Amino acid sequence: MAKSVFSTAVCLVLGTTYCFVLWIVLSHDYDWEAIQPYWKNLLSGWWMTILVSAAALLLSILVAALLTAGQMSAHRPPRLLSRVFVEFVRGTPLLVQILLGYYLVANSMGWDNRFWVGVVILSLFAGAYLSEIFRGGIESIPASQWNSARAIGLSDSQTYRHVVIPQAVRRVLPASAGQFANLIKDSSLLFVISVHEFTMQARETNANSYATFESYLPLAIGYLALTLPISLFSRRLEERYRYEH
Amino acid sequence: MSIELRNISKHYGETRAVDEVSLVVPDEVQVLVLIGPSGGGKSTLLRLLGGLEVPTSGEVLYQGRSLGTEESNLRQFRRKNGFLFQQFNLFPHLSALENVMLPLTKVHDFSAAEAKDRAMSGLERFGLQAHAEKMPAQLSGGQQQRVGLARAMAHQPGLLLLDEPTSALDPEMKAEVLEVIDELCREGQRIILTTHEMGFAKKSGDQLVFLSRGKVIDVSEGTAFFESTDSPEIKGFLEKVMKW
Repeated sequence: MAKSVFSTAVCLVLGTTYCFVLWIVLSHDYDWEAIQPYWKNLLSGWWMTILVSAAALLLSILVAALLTAGQMSAHRPPRLLSRVFVEFVRGTPLLVQILLGYYLVANSMGWDNRFWVGVVILSLFAGAYLSEIFRGGIESIPASQWNSARAIGLSDSQTYRHVVIPQAVRRVLPASAGQFANLIKDSSLLFVISVHEFTMQARETNANSYATFESYLPLAIGYLALTLPISLFSRRLEERYRYEH
Repeated sequence: MSIELRNISKHYGETRAVDEVSLVVPDEVQVLVLIGPSGGGKSTLLRLLGGLEVPTSGEVLYQGRSLGTEESNLRQFRRKNGFLFQQFNLFPHLSALENVMLPLTKVHDFSAAEAKDRAMSGLERFGLQAHAEKMPAQLSGGQQQRVGLARAMAHQPGLLLLDEPTSALDPEMKAEVLEVIDELCREGQRIILTTHEMGFAKKSGDQLVFLSRGKVIDVSEGTAFFESTDSPEIKGFLEKVMKW
């Protein structure tokens, strides 16, 4: 009884909210002509977002692998250094990291390629989060697997390679896919250092055309077109993993 | 078998899992059985004998040579032997066949084709040929233990160490695994086994060691099976486990 009351309440609240939003979106008097000259920019921004995210994804996997190895090292210094990095990244806003990374670090190094500076900052950021996922995956492999591996005579590195990592990869895939979706959304902050990605192009379109709805609605849809398939894929992986065990 | 334990101890923090145990297992002993109450030190002693644990103090000698405490030496020793534990022996991401092949290709330097032949004939031997391509999760507990045995036996180990191999199985599967182990005993395989199966211990063991609280309480040769023991602890234990 209480359950059905609760679910009715949830449907009512969410349903009303959706209707309200839909009403705003549909009742707006659109002027698509206004942003006609900027479609090309929006598209190139969308494409730039894909490029930045894809490059940062690849690099972030490397960063994460390094940080994971550091955090799981038998020696104290690499453990400590990796921990400090991860805590810094998790404890400060990405926006602050982008500003610091670009205006302080990259500038003092005389490095002005905004695309690559953006990619590096994003991959350091995503790599720190990803390394926590990787570490969790490796630590979730039960001790009995290590025991079995030692019993058949595998060395530690063979155990990682043939027993631990193949199992850990399956376990971390869903969460890592989710992290990639985050990476795409987080890349929107790169507009602050003038990387000509999707959000920056939408902002410029809005500034030039004064057509706010027409500039930002495609922005939301453009991000959803990238993140929704990943989110669906990640769910499917989760389900597959559940049935395997 | 020729094993000698010299005043061996294994402590985990405050717990003395094995406490100053000395034991001689003569060469003619082919099947050594460790029995006793749970938590009495059987498994730890088996792991020390197999080179899976390093003793806190004391020394294990196998065929006159000390196993030492170096991980690389212990690994070399483990590679010559085969192990089977109570459960979770298999790697869940590999098929039965791949589980048996893994140590052959990665540890014993067989080519993939040789390893496959050997693994298949091992699986056939334990009646598992139809299950070669299945994942561990698709096999029954008894089948999983038999795949574990096939893997432990694939490189013809000097010693086969079995740590309560049937404790996690229901009676029917227990019988199916014990039969296979019994067959190995009859074929002359050297085996060290911890078990709660007293009937099996009595039938197959050449030497039985009763452990409790980390100590060897008594050692029985051959068929005598503690029948003349003075230890009230052993009498009490046997009464309890034989009662049902």
